Amino acid sequence: MLEQNNGISRRSVLKGAAVGGLGIAAGGSLLAGCASKATGPLAYGARSVDAGPTAQNEALIAAYTAKTKNEVKYNATESNAFQNNLSQYLQGTPDDTFEWMAGYRMQFFAEQGLLADLTDVWGTIGDQYTDSYKIASTGLDGKQYFVPKSWYPWGMHFRKSMFKDLGLSADTVTNWDEFLKMLDGMKKKGLVGFAAGDKGGWEAMGTFDIINARVNGYQFHVDLMAGREKWTDAKVLEVFKHWEMLIPYMNPNVLDLEWDGAMQLLLQKKAGAMLMGSWFGGNFKEQSQADYDDLSIIPFPEINPEHGRDTVDAPIDGWCVAANGTNNAGGADFLAFAGDMEGVQATLDAKDKDGKSIPMTSANKGQDRSTYDAFQKEQMAVMDEAKYITQFLDRDTRPDFAGPVVGPAIQSWFKNPKDVNKIVDSLQAQWDALPPLA
Amino acid sequence: MNSTAVGSKKAHRRRAFSKADRTTLIAFVGIPLFFHLLLVWVPAFLTILLSFTYWSGISISRIKWAGLANYKNIFFDTPAFWEAVQNNVIWLLWFAGIATPIGILLAYQIDRQIRGHKFYETAYYLPVVLSLAVTGIIWDFLLRPDGFVNGLMGRDIDNAFSFFGNYDINIYVILTIASWRHIGYIMLLYLAGLKSVDLALREASALDGATEWQTFKKVVFPAMKPVNVIVIVITIIESLRAFDIVYIIYGSRGGLPILGTLVFSNIAGEGASMKGAAYAVILFLLSIGPIIAYLRTTFKSDVQ
Repeated sequence: MLEQNNGISRRSVLKGAAVGGLGIAAGGSLLAGCASKATGPLAYGARSVDAGPTAQNEALIAAYTAKTKNEVKYNATESNAFQNNLSQYLQGTPDDTFEWMAGYRMQFFAEQGLLADLTDVWGTIGDQYTDSYKIASTGLDGKQYFVPKSWYPWGMHFRKSMFKDLGLSADTVTNWDEFLKMLDGMKKKGLVGFAAGDKGGWEAMGTFDIINARVNGYQFHVDLMAGREKWTDAKVLEVFKHWEMLIPYMNPNVLDLEWDGAMQLLLQKKAGAMLMGSWFGGNFKEQSQADYDDLSIIPFPEINPEHGRDTVDAPIDGWCVAANGTNNAGGADFLAFAGDMEGVQATLDAKDKDGKSIPMTSANKGQDRSTYDAFQKEQMAVMDEAKYITQFLDRDTRPDFAGPVVGPAIQSWFKNPKDVNKIVDSLQAQWDALPPLA
Repeated sequence: MNSTAVGSKKAHRRRAFSKADRTTLIAFVGIPLFFHLLLVWVPAFLTILLSFTYWSGISISRIKWAGLANYKNIFFDTPAFWEAVQNNVIWLLWFAGIATPIGILLAYQIDRQIRGHKFYETAYYLPVVLSLAVTGIIWDFLLRPDGFVNGLMGRDIDNAFSFFGNYDINIYVILTIASWRHIGYIMLLYLAGLKSVDLALREASALDGATEWQTFKKVVFPAMKPVNVIVIVITIIESLRAFDIVYIIYGSRGGLPILGTLVFSNIAGEGASMKGAAYAVILFLLSIGPIIAYLRTTFKSDVQ
C-alpha cells in the first residue's frame, strides 16, 4: 500500500519538489486563508470537456450544493486551450476553484502569487492523505496550494487476452531482455509491439522518463530535470540507445499519432503493448466493459539491476484556488468538501450516461481499496513496487523548457535517431540559454 | 494671372477649414488613427520592447532586461528556428511559383468565358469562404491515419499512409492544403482585375496578330499592374503569417515548425517567455521588409 512507502516516497517527492526550488527565492505575501462557513456562490473551472470527468464534476458539485446550499457555476474548457491560456486566466478574472496538476506546475504559479493558500483546508482534510500527497501539494514556501483528486501510474499496458495468446504473463516480462523478447514475439505475429504516438509532442516524454529512471536511476533523472546534470552526459545517450532498440517494434507512424491513436492500436488489438498513463482506462470502459476488463498494467521492465523497477511516473491531478478569484473562501470551502471523503465518495459514485461507474483511483486514503476493480488493483501494485514517484517530464522541469524545447527535440529524434548527438547538444545549449529564474 | 496668385490662393484655401470641417476631420481621421495607434502600433512597439526582456508574462514587477539574449538564443541555440525559416521559405516559393500562377491561369481561362466558367468560378472560390482553421480541420479529417482517405485506401491505423508524420513530404501536403484555398483567392482577385481591362486593348492586339500568350504577357499583364501588386503582397504575407492550418493539424508543440507556431508556442501557456516576442519581431521584420521595398519601387515608378 502507498502508506507503507511513506518514508521513502516522502523523501523522493521532496527531492522532486526541489526541482522547482532551484534558484527561486521563496517569498511573496499571499492571502491568508480564511475559512468561514458562509461562503456564497462560487465558480468552478474544469480543464476537460470529456464526458467522464464532466459527469464526475457534476456529481461532486451537486453533492456540494445539496450540502451547503452554495451555488456553483460550472465553466469547462478543453484541456489544451485551458493550459495555453492559464497565465492570462489566473491574472484576469479566474474561476474561484479550478482543476490543475501537482508538482512544479503548481509551485510555479503559487510562487507568482496566483494561487490561494490552502493550509487551512489541509488542516481539515490533511489526515485523509498520506504525506507524499501533502508534499506534492506544497509550494516552495511550505504552504499548501493544491488539493489532490486522483493519480494514475505510467506503465506497460497490454490486453490479458493477447498476452495469453502469446504465451506471456506479467512475470515473464520483468527485465530488458525479456521485454525485447516479448516485443520480438509480437512482431513475428505481425503485431506492433510498442505502440507509440508523439504527434502532440508530449506523449513520448513518458518513455524518456522511465528509460532514464531505469538506466540511470531516480536521482539522475531528477537532477537532469533540474539542470544539475547535463543532457550531453553519456548517461543520456545511453537512454536514447535503449529507446532506439524499441523503434523497430513501434508503429512506423509515431509522429502521425497522438496518444489516442496509440491507444486505438491497443484497443483494436493491432498492438501488443503500450506505455501510457492508466487514465485511458476510462476510454476502454466507454468502448465496452469487456475491453476494460481485458486491460492490464505492469511496471516498465528493469534495465539496470542497480535501480530495478524503483521509479514510476505517477502524476497527481487535483484542484487549486485562484488568488484573483472573487470568492477565495468559497473556493477553499469547496475544496475542503471535494478533498474530504464525502466529496470523494460523491465523485466515485458518479455514473456516465450509460449508467456505468467511472474508474478513478482517488488520492484520498479513505477510498475503499477493496472496491477497486482488477485493473485498479494492478495500478496500485505498480505504485507499491516503486520507491520513487516522479510526476512527468512536463510537470517536473521548467515549463519554458519542457514544452517548447524537449517536445520538439524528441520529435526530431524520431525523425532521425542518428542525430542523437546533435539533439542532446542542442538540448543542453537551449537549457543553458534559458533565462535565470526570477 | 500668374502662378504666385494661384499658389497663395491654394495656401489660403488650405488654411480656411471651417469649424465643421475640422470637427469632421478629427472625427473621421483622428478617432480611427487613435484606435489604430492604440490597437496596432502600441502593442507592436511593446512587443519589440518585450523581446529584449526576460519575463514569464506574470506580474510585471518580475520583468528583467535581457539585452539581445533572446535573439542570441534563437539564432544560435534553437534548431527549430532554422527549420521554421526553411519551411517558411519553401512555403513562399511554393506560393509564388505554383499556387499563385495557377490562380492567375484559372482567372484568365474563366475570364475567356470557357464553357462552364460559372461553375469553375464557384468551385474554385468555394474554399476561400472557409476560414483557414476550418480548412485545417476538414483536411485533418481527410488525411489523418484513421481518416477518410486512409479508409478509402483500405488502410488501418497501424499501416496508414503517413501524410502528416513523414517529414519528407508533410510540408508539401500542408502546402497542397493551403493552396487549395490560396488558388481560389488569387483567382478571384485576378478575375476582378481582368474584368476591368478594356476589351479594346485585347481586340487591338488580336488585330495586330498577337498570339494569346503574347497578348497576356505584353498587353493584359502590364495593364493589370495594381492587381499584380496586391497579388504579390498577399502571396508574401500569406506565406509568412502561415499559422492556422499547421496549428490545427499539429498543435503548438513542434510538429512542423513554422515561424507562426514558434511565436505561439513560446508566448502562450505555461512556457511563456519573451523569446516568443523576439520571434514575433523577426517575423514582423521579415514581412514588412520585402513589402515596403516592393511598394516603394512600384509607387515610385508610378509617380514618374
